[in-house]
Amino acid sequence: MAVETEEVLLVRVQQENFSVDEEIDRVRSRSTRIGGLNIFLGTARDRSKGRDVSSMTFEHYEGMAQRKLREIRERALKDFDVIEVLILHRYGPIEIGENIVLIVVGAEHRADAFKACRWCIDELKKITPIWKSEHTPDGEVWVEEHP
Amino acid sequence: MSTSSVATIKLFGMLKTLVPGGELSLDFPQGCKVRDFIEMLRPRWPEVAELVVQKKVLVSVNQEIAHWDTEISNTDEIALLPPFAGGSLGKV
Repeated sequence: MAVETEEVLLVRVQQENFSVDEEIDRVRSRSTRIGGLNIFLGTARDRSKGRDVSSMTFEHYEGMAQRKLREIRERALKDFDVIEVLILHRYGPIEIGENIVLIVVGAEHRADAFKACRWCIDELKKITPIWKSEHTPDGEVWVEEHP
Repeated sequence: MSTSSVATIKLFGMLKTLVPGGELSLDFPQGCKVRDFIEMLRPRWPEVAELVVQKKVLVSVNQEIAHWDTEISNTDEIALLPPFAGGSLGKV
């Protein structure tokens, strides 16, 4: 039962902020075989496509977003030589500088951790039904894509 | 049948700015496919229909991306998905 609970915590879409340190510890505590962790942390920036941004709001498709993130974690565990993967994404209003998305990958060696982490964030941006609106001096702008 | 309940189509992101009320209600006849659904959208929401035709907006049925020939009924969970925040939708 405890293992199942822990699995659920490794993929989350949540409104509240998260502690990067706690999430790193969650991954490293999964196995003493982990020799390296790679982390991607996406944060809210105050400029986008030449416009000032004062804050932003993320909307997600409840259920489908979680499914897609679980799918990404499972594929990363299968396709890369890594030990554990954690994926978190926030929704709702987010202030400039706050955390938005976190990927933590634990592996025996750094090369696999880097590769898997890069793949996870790229895949997340491609297939996860999450939308961002930026609040700018010109009003609210729905963002279709960013690099 | 006139007694069948209608389907509510979930809308996200910028689509909610195109449709007053932020959601659509339609009654799908038996054997209705996604391509028929798009034609049902056209009279009242031509802009939305065009975005789907151009594949700028995807249709999902029961939380899976659907194709033109996917059958839909009033009991399915149907949503229109504009481009995600993170990048292009890729090929459907």
